[in-house]
Amino acid sequence: MTLAIEAVGLVKTFRSKGGDIEAVRGVDLAVEQGEVFGFLGPNGAGKSTTVRMLTTLLSISSGAARVAGLDVASDPDAVRRKIGVALQEAGLDPRQTGRELVTLQAQLFGLAPAAARDRAQSLLELVDLVDAADRRIKGYSGGMKRRLDLASALVHQPDVLFLDEPTTGLDPASRLTVWDEVRRINAEGTTVFLTTQYLEEADQLCDRLAIIDGGSIVLEGTPGSLKASLRQRRGLDHDPTLDEVFLEATGRTRVRAAGDVEQVHA
Amino acid sequence: MNQALLLGRRALRETIRTPESLAPTLLIPLFFLVVNVGQAGKIFPAASTGFLKGQSYAAFQLPSSLLLAASFGTAALYLVEDIEGGYFDKLRAAPIGRTSLVVGRLFAEALKSVLLTAVLVLISLPFGIRIASGFFGFLLLLVLAATWAVTYAGFMQLIALKTRSAAATNSGSLVFFPLLFLTPNFVPRSLLTRPMEIAATFNPVTYIMEGLRSLILGADAVVVLRGFAVVLGLGAVMVVLNVRAVRTYD
Repeated sequence: MTLAIEAVGLVKTFRSKGGDIEAVRGVDLAVEQGEVFGFLGPNGAGKSTTVRMLTTLLSISSGAARVAGLDVASDPDAVRRKIGVALQEAGLDPRQTGRELVTLQAQLFGLAPAAARDRAQSLLELVDLVDAADRRIKGYSGGMKRRLDLASALVHQPDVLFLDEPTTGLDPASRLTVWDEVRRINAEGTTVFLTTQYLEEADQLCDRLAIIDGGSIVLEGTPGSLKASLRQRRGLDHDPTLDEVFLEATGRTRVRAAGDVEQVHA
Repeated sequence: MNQALLLGRRALRETIRTPESLAPTLLIPLFFLVVNVGQAGKIFPAASTGFLKGQSYAAFQLPSSLLLAASFGTAALYLVEDIEGGYFDKLRAAPIGRTSLVVGRLFAEALKSVLLTAVLVLISLPFGIRIASGFFGFLLLLVLAATWAVTYAGFMQLIALKTRSAAATNSGSLVFFPLLFLTPNFVPRSLLTRPMEIAATFNPVTYIMEGLRSLILGADAVVVLRGFAVVLGLGAVMVVLNVRAVRTYD
């Protein structure tokens, strides 16, 4: 079976005045069709850079990537037809209404005007934004913007959906709504590639995950297998959390400060 | 082309929904027209100034104001907003022709400029200005001004794509002021001092201004064609550079 996402030796080097910076250093990925694949890592680890390369937004310095069976570097337009993308900032046009934005996105993907309007209506119903559909986006809350961004990423029923930190900055209720959406989209057969900093989110949603640190993948597996492996390795008498797996993999330590506040030190 | 039109329609909607951005593009050129005519109008009486061809000095000054109105390049400022807000990446991740990504906004800029130029000319009519080349000449004037608007917006979009900075893009609009004043702005080129004449001769804005002026005061086909040739050449270069910038945008 063709892999939904395949990367071999993916490298991204940025040029700067102080010399070249290697943001991604030889990442290999193999994501099966129908999976929810989590991509975790601390800030600046290379998560977003990897996603931007896989979604054709950033050139690949070396290595190769295929998405939905298509080469990202040599056939970017074909890749774009197969993927849905919801990036970190929920990139939306604040002066359009939600309905206008989704309809325009559907037309840009080739739907006829009437079909685009119908598709927009059904997606707005799906993400529960019908009541706000004819209001300008600048008045939407953070959660509404995320849901709208998700709807606009689904106009063409993509094979692979890239979600870059889709719940960052959301309140717990909005986060749960986005989780439900991700589960529903995945249940319909869409492969989901999800980057997140929330380990609970990865634990809840992901079939498999990879942890990236310093531009390289340091750990990969199912949440269950990663926890079991840590328990065995450390000889723990309890199941570790994914937080503990993450901290060990990235070499961070956790110091319990006063009260319930936890600090993470690099 | 369809995608460019869709994006152009969206850009027009954006402009209509921010009417406050349109006000300066109308009021500032009118301000310059009134001030320049007020300062130099008496020096050049219509009856005894040959280069006015019987019209008021306001008719001679109108092209400067039309060019200024066409040189705000607001399309580029909206593009920076898209870049900073992440919407530009959303569009780039869709199967949209890279040319459409930049040309869509330029379509909207052209249409906006046609409307703005028409309004400015209409406002000028009560001050004794008439378009000596007739209705067809008026249409050519609209096209010439709009093509310049597209060219200058293209230049500013290029800054936006290269710098991704609102401040840098905004400063691009200031570049027009030296270009505007290194032209036969107050008198014909033949009456400029030698250094100014040389500077004006090398300034492409001169030829567009002379083309517009020729359509207002009485058409000289060669001058009009030269204006179109210069603006179409520059416009083509800007579109090519924009498309290249968006293709290599990382």
